[in-house]
Amino acid sequence: MRDQKGSRSLLTIAALIALGGLGCVTVKPQQRSVLADPIMQFEGDPQASAQLRHAIDNREGSYGGGGVAGGGCGCN
Amino acid sequence: MRLQLRSRCRLPSRGRGRKVGSALVAVAAAVVLTLENPARAQVVQVDTSHTFYHEAPTRSNMTVYTPGVDLAVTPAEWVTIRGGYEADVVSGASVATKAGPAYQAVNPGVDVITTASVKDFRQSPRGGFTLRKGDVAYTASYTYGTENDYRSHSIFVGARTDAYEHNTQFDISYARNFDSVCDRVQAVNDTPPRFRALESSAGCFTDDPLRRRRPLSIDGFQASWTQAWTPTFATQLVYTAQLIDGFQSSPYRSIIVAQGLKAQEHHPDVRVRQALALRFNWYLRPLKVALRVSGRVYRDTWDITSGTGELELERYFAEGLRLAARGRFYKQTGALFWSDDYTGGDAPLGPKGQYFTGDRELSPFWSVAAGLRLTYAIHPTAKPDGGTARLIGIFTDAKLGLSADAMQFSYDEYTLAGTPITNARAYILGLTAGGAF
Repeated sequence: MRDQKGSRSLLTIAALIALGGLGCVTVKPQQRSVLADPIMQFEGDPQASAQLRHAIDNREGSYGGGGVAGGGCGCN
Repeated sequence: MRLQLRSRCRLPSRGRGRKVGSALVAVAAAVVLTLENPARAQVVQVDTSHTFYHEAPTRSNMTVYTPGVDLAVTPAEWVTIRGGYEADVVSGASVATKAGPAYQAVNPGVDVITTASVKDFRQSPRGGFTLRKGDVAYTASYTYGTENDYRSHSIFVGARTDAYEHNTQFDISYARNFDSVCDRVQAVNDTPPRFRALESSAGCFTDDPLRRRRPLSIDGFQASWTQAWTPTFATQLVYTAQLIDGFQSSPYRSIIVAQGLKAQEHHPDVRVRQALALRFNWYLRPLKVALRVSGRVYRDTWDITSGTGELELERYFAEGLRLAARGRFYKQTGALFWSDDYTGGDAPLGPKGQYFTGDRELSPFWSVAAGLRLTYAIHPTAKPDGGTARLIGIFTDAKLGLSADAMQFSYDEYTLAGTPITNARAYILGLTAGGAF
């Protein structure tokens, strides 16, 4: 029981450190021209992607993990 | 990229004689009212998407046409109002009675597999809004679905935030469905092995004493983390969980469960599904190609596990014109209660507890898919006098997309009375168009 609590705390601390470490990853706004391009969007055409997924989901036993719009905003 | 209008906006021309759901009309009315009050920043975005799906494996065939249209209005930077409509026009023939090789061996000369023609029309109007404050956006929407044998009410709420100078995005959402499935009224003392399948959708959702509504609720949760790591590399991690509670069988499908006894398909009422997907998006500067790789693992309480791998390459060939080639591999195990023949035979045939199914999507199989997508986006050049440039005098931004995909399914165990399905191929065509004005 104590071991479980310990490993959970360790996991939480590791997650917090990883989350804080994300702040070190900096792509400056002026470097985002490629990321902001439609070619680099994870869900460039959400409606078409949803329809394709709808067709495929009806033929498979699985579901979920679909893409979320985003990838780069090109904003300041 | 959506452009901002400073002059009077025009409404999109209406489709010839197209009837839309009342919810869509209400949203359109709201849009008209919004546009009557000139705002400093207004954007109207219209998108339409059409998908054709066709397959014709042994003894069955299915053609589905899915048209959809979405309208989004952003009267101010902090709010977007959306309305949309989607339909499924379904026609074909599906397997109505499923048997396996052991039963067929005992009853040679009898064609135990029957099919039934399927015609359905699903309509689904939807509406919603997004509110933004700083780096956070909140979205809420409602979708109504109706077809001959199914009714659905779905609500969705989600929140999204940008962090670390917009290099990180977190997204969480929750969706809840309140659905009803039409079923046949069964005899009071009968148990599932004696239930009879629904003959047709006639009388569904009316006062017909031979029809009843079976509830189905779906709770869905999704969380995602999108991260830009370098100017040309980004990743996305998505976790999805879903709890389904209610009637999940096909009411039309019968299974031969014993000699001379067929019963309506019988699935467990509860199913918990989880999926985890990881995507990589990398722009290869020397080749001017965007490389997308994704992997997904899935598991549910019916003991189906699956893995999916996808690869996509996309490249510009001219200003605004890009072509993508994609490939997909999928493999799953069968449900715990799956059997190709519940009447007996050698393993893996034979009865599997109290549940029985004829659904090939619950059997072990794998599939491969390949496809192409062509996209042409037009952004009219700004006028020298600083005015807004418009395509054919209307659109400040337009996009056209065409796609074609083919899928091949390979079923490890599923047969029609011992006859394997070797020609299960599906063809999917897509057409999208959109514009802002």
